[in-house]
Amino acid sequence: MASSKGWPYTISMNKSKKLRPGEKVFSFILIIFSAILFFESYKISGFSGLTTSGAMPMFASTLMLIASIFIFLETLKKDPKNKFNLLKVTQYLLPKQLIFFVSVVLIYVLAIPYFGFTLSSGTFLIISILSLWEKGIVWSLGVSIFSITIIYFLFRIIFQVILPLGSFWS
Amino acid sequence: MENLIYFTTAWLDPYLMLLTAIGTFAGIYVGAIPGLSVTMTVSILISFTFKWDVNDALALIAGIYVGGVYGGGRTAILLNIPGAPSAIATAFDGYPLAKKGLAGEAIGLTTVMSFIGGMVGVLTLAIAAPIISDFAIKFTSREYMLLGIIGVLLIGTLSGESFAKGAMAGALGVMIGMIGLDPMTAKARFTYGSINLMGGVPYIVAMIGFFGVTEALVQLDNLKLPYVKQKISKIIPNWSDVKKYFKLALKSAGLGTLIGALPGTGGDIAALIAYDQAKRTTKNPEVPFGSGAKEGIIAPETANNAAIGGAFIPMLTLGIPGDAVTAIIIGALYIHGLKPGPLLLIETPHLFWFIVGNLTLANIFLLIFGLTGVRIFTKIVECPKGILIPLIIVLSSIGAYAIQNNPIHIAWALGFGVFGYILKKYGFAVGPIILGVILGPMIDSNYRRVMMGADQNISQFFVDLVTNPISFVLVCFLLIMIGSQINFIRNKTLKFLR
Repeated sequence: MASSKGWPYTISMNKSKKLRPGEKVFSFILIIFSAILFFESYKISGFSGLTTSGAMPMFASTLMLIASIFIFLETLKKDPKNKFNLLKVTQYLLPKQLIFFVSVVLIYVLAIPYFGFTLSSGTFLIISILSLWEKGIVWSLGVSIFSITIIYFLFRIIFQVILPLGSFWS
Repeated sequence: MENLIYFTTAWLDPYLMLLTAIGTFAGIYVGAIPGLSVTMTVSILISFTFKWDVNDALALIAGIYVGGVYGGGRTAILLNIPGAPSAIATAFDGYPLAKKGLAGEAIGLTTVMSFIGGMVGVLTLAIAAPIISDFAIKFTSREYMLLGIIGVLLIGTLSGESFAKGAMAGALGVMIGMIGLDPMTAKARFTYGSINLMGGVPYIVAMIGFFGVTEALVQLDNLKLPYVKQKISKIIPNWSDVKKYFKLALKSAGLGTLIGALPGTGGDIAALIAYDQAKRTTKNPEVPFGSGAKEGIIAPETANNAAIGGAFIPMLTLGIPGDAVTAIIIGALYIHGLKPGPLLLIETPHLFWFIVGNLTLANIFLLIFGLTGVRIFTKIVECPKGILIPLIIVLSSIGAYAIQNNPIHIAWALGFGVFGYILKKYGFAVGPIILGVILGPMIDSNYRRVMMGADQNISQFFVDLVTNPISFVLVCFLLIMIGSQINFIRNKTLKFLR
């Protein structure tokens, strides 16, 4: 286990001493995010009492704000000369494959209420397996149909989950 | 005598026995396949078992839990890819052993030691839980509030990159737990007029998102990691080896149970600390640590299975989860109208002894399945990630939907998943978030009760905390925990002690 110098002292399992692309900006965004959450918490009950509905959210968001400031200070110590590079950040955080996959998942999630679970999941499996596995259409189709059959049998028949049928068909 | 009958419930009912066996068998594969985790599987599965009898659900989940923690070690040895976080330390020496052609022997030894660890954990649970439960009856809102805060911060200190990141994640979880109508005043918090948010965020949806979807997205980075095939020979370990390492196993099991019993810490931390402990205390290992020392696989594998029994102790006696899996099991118990806490052992002793008996049975199945079918196992765990990742997404979607038959929950799970992925990329752990979601409402309600008792007077609130012996001990523990994270205080203390 490694330890870091300066506050906060850490018992770390996998401490990264290098600054990750966009880490400084991300930690700054966290400060803004925490400040917004604090303001939203304040709007619940203001400072009207210590046992109000807003008390705990205000405590938690204050902790977030303090922690995010320390996280930001930590990133400043890591590599002070490092400059923000949008291309590097995009490559690190949002590689093409991830953007494509998350887009497919998003379409899949939106399609479920309209086309039902079975058809949407089957199509999602075919498209994503085809793109990620790269074994060709026949294999992808076969694995997808086999998987969706097993999933349907397991969840609809055995676990008796009422799967969405889709408003498009009704 | 009555307790013995409850203990043997799962042993005498063929259906429960079958469910435990299926759970353990499936757990070994789930834990072993990189990308699938026990937490993910249990969180997805729990939404389907709500309609089941509580014993049936617990039998299956206990099996998956025991099998899954063990299964992670197998791929760590065979492929150098830990199947689960609790098997990270196993790979340090397990894979070098496999490269020497000793994969079978290593798997056999870890199976027997996992069994020993598991049994020590269960035995401790059976002995310690009734004692702690009797003691915990004296606990008031003060102690529960403090235990909740300790749980969230403790996992924050031990996971992720820094205490600040852990605290940030834990506080974020508490904020997510605050969404919805305040149960004490019915005032809306962070709902923005949305009916879907009025009931709050079901924490199983958050779990599926943070553990299932996040993990699937993280796995995209390692999509083309090649699997290295290993030769499997002898699996049953030598009796002399078992005898030789028995003492180390017992020591690691004790450590694992203790760490597992701390609120918020689980098998992953137990395994790493046990490995570290073994490395420092083993004077003359046959082979140096890191290049195939048997001690290096025995210590973590014994500790992580022992942590299971340990994790059940705070869950069943205090209603505070020992780790992420017991956090999900708490949810299942609540759904079935049971309230984990000090009264659970008094009001429903059958449930406690059923869990003890079931965990024992799962450990026996672990020994049987662990020592057989290893060759077929190697074929199955090589499941391409290109198939696995889309399947995780589909299963996560069904799991999120099935909780309340609400399609919006699928979108929430996806949102949490993407958010969790970004956080992971910047060194945040998602475990504290989940603990925060679960413990946040508990901390909130208990804090408000304590503050009301102190007539909303801050100084009285703190006086109450330090004048009560139990809460005083907990305050000291909390302060030590936070103080140990602050370099200045830590250095001064160490200097003073020296």
